[in-house]
Amino acid sequence: MKDNRQANYKLPLSLRKGKVCLILCLLLVVAGLTAYTGTEPTVPMGDYVFNYPANFGNRINVPANNPTTQQGVYLGRLLFYEPKLSATNTISCGSCHQQSKAFTDGKALSIGVNNGLATRNSMSLANLLWARKFFWDGRAASLEGQVAFPLTNPHEMGQPIEVSVQKLSNTKVYPGLFKIVYGDSTITGERIAKAIAQFERTLISANSRYDQYLRNVYQPTDDELKGMELFNRGADPEKGIRGANCTHCHGGPKTYLELFHNNGLDSISKDEGMAAFTGLVTDRGRFKVPTLRNIALTAPYMHDGRFKTLDEVVDHYSEHIKQSVSLSAFLQGESNEVGGKSLKLQPKEKKQLIAFLNMLTDSTFITDKRFADPHRSTKN
Amino acid sequence: MKKYTLILLLLIAGFGTRAQTKEAVVKVSGEVTSPLTIGSADLQQYKQTTVIRKDRDGKDHTYSGVIVSDILTKAGVTLGSELRGENLAKFLLVEASDGYQVLFALAELDKGFTDRTIILADKIDGQPLAPADGPFRIIVQDEKKPARCIKQVTAMKVMFAK
Ligand code: HEC
Ligand code: HEC
Repeated sequence: MKDNRQANYKLPLSLRKGKVCLILCLLLVVAGLTAYTGTEPTVPMGDYVFNYPANFGNRINVPANNPTTQQGVYLGRLLFYEPKLSATNTISCGSCHQQSKAFTDGKALSIGVNNGLATRNSMSLANLLWARKFFWDGRAASLEGQVAFPLTNPHEMGQPIEVSVQKLSNTKVYPGLFKIVYGDSTITGERIAKAIAQFERTLISANSRYDQYLRNVYQPTDDELKGMELFNRGADPEKGIRGANCTHCHGGPKTYLELFHNNGLDSISKDEGMAAFTGLVTDRGRFKVPTLRNIALTAPYMHDGRFKTLDEVVDHYSEHIKQSVSLSAFLQGESNEVGGKSLKLQPKEKKQLIAFLNMLTDSTFITDKRFADPHRSTKN
Repeated sequence: MKKYTLILLLLIAGFGTRAQTKEAVVKVSGEVTSPLTIGSADLQQYKQTTVIRKDRDGKDHTYSGVIVSDILTKAGVTLGSELRGENLAKFLLVEASDGYQVLFALAELDKGFTDRTIILADKIDGQPLAPADGPFRIIVQDEKKPARCIKQVTAMKVMFAK
């Protein structure tokens, strides 16, 4: 080093200046590169193309003022897994919506900040691209509108939007990312919601064994086929046809129809369900018919997580439907016995039905890297 | 004493809101000149019609209510002499409280096109519809499948096919 410096002194001034410039430039490039890889990873850009089977139909729901872009989805994924959005910096959307459990949390009632209990069971987030009403009672009309609830709910993430905006503004990463996505680095509640919604729309599950069967690339077992038949058929004991008619509410290639029903859990539901905002007695205990996609992964079941296993669920439909004014018409007078009051499935049929429900597990979906926690490598 | 009056008042207020369960209505909107909100009493203001149709029990039942096109005409929908040209690209979307939706082309509802009667029913065999079916249900005369006899109707929206 010393020698070099001495040598430098001997050089003519102009040349020395040039060399210093070069070194400075190199230093800048190196510094720039490290800064780039350090805080601003390459963000994919351009329109996001949704890939899904034709039999899912094209009645998708993307609001005109929030088109899905690759950069938006990239930001949304970071925010979905961002614990800074909670009052304690410990809870993110991903805490209650875990990929390995098809974006549920395995608890009867979800646990939020300061161990507060949410009032309902976490919902699986799959194929929301086709949904138009959100939550167990359908009270949110868009994914963008839905986000504010968990963010600010004292039993979930418990942090005012302004505080979230402030926290993100104070980070190195987010202002730059918001600039890439929205054109300027201003962070707002609306922009946070839009990006998260974009990410949620990409959570498409379409590769269960049932999907493969519908694509003619999987041959179901006998039990699975029998279960599928029961699932899709109404009982008609006079004609000797046995069925469970689950399809009336849970049918179609998505196993989701966006309907709201009372499925006879209680004669007087503790949770009012839709009646809380419609005020109609016939809406009491009426809830969203949830998707059955990945159902084997999303226990416990129902809006309050009352059933631990699919056996309990099937027993409910077979023998324990409770009568009330709000009980769905589709669950009244359905029986496999002439004049029977309940479905009355045989033990073997229950097993077959559950074999079919297990066909709805999409292991590609729960291991897809595009949906995983991007903070993982630095966090754990 | 004051304390008790307060409690009493609170109790009355509480019962008041409990008893005030809302009445189900059907909202008529979309390509209409005057949107309507129809409750049970309003439906009685229209001319009543009956349609006989089999229910799931396989037996014939008499449904009574109001011809859907009468309601739409009241709302100013382009039926009758106006049902031509681009208006033939209009449809009626009927929605139920469970989110189920079915649609009818306007021409399916117009007397000039068909004699088949489609009514918004509120009674079966002279009795109010069962809670899980009513208070309002569409009854489509002679249609083989019952799928468009949509129950618990909450909205009827007239729209243009895009
Ligand atoms: C404390 C646990 C918890 C956290 C944190 C949480 N959720 Fe939820 N999520 C729930 C519960 C419980 C429900 C059902 C609530 C209801 O119906 O009232 C739900 C429902 C939803 C739904 C509705 C799904 C449907 O099919 O209707 C979406 C979408 C959703 N959450 C997204 C998010 C997003 C985005 C975040 C982060 C901003 C988030 N959640 C954070 C527990 C949580
Ligand atoms: C009348 C419509 C209807 C029919 C028919 C119906 N379900 Fe359901 N199902 C619902 C509703 C509504 C819920 C949610 C109820 C709640 O949480 O209060 C539900 C919930 C479930 C759940 C739990 C989902 C979760 O994420 O917690 C499973 C599993 C299920 N149903 C399976 C079935 C099977 C199997 C059949 C056929 C035997 C069936 N359902 C028939 C309406 C229906």
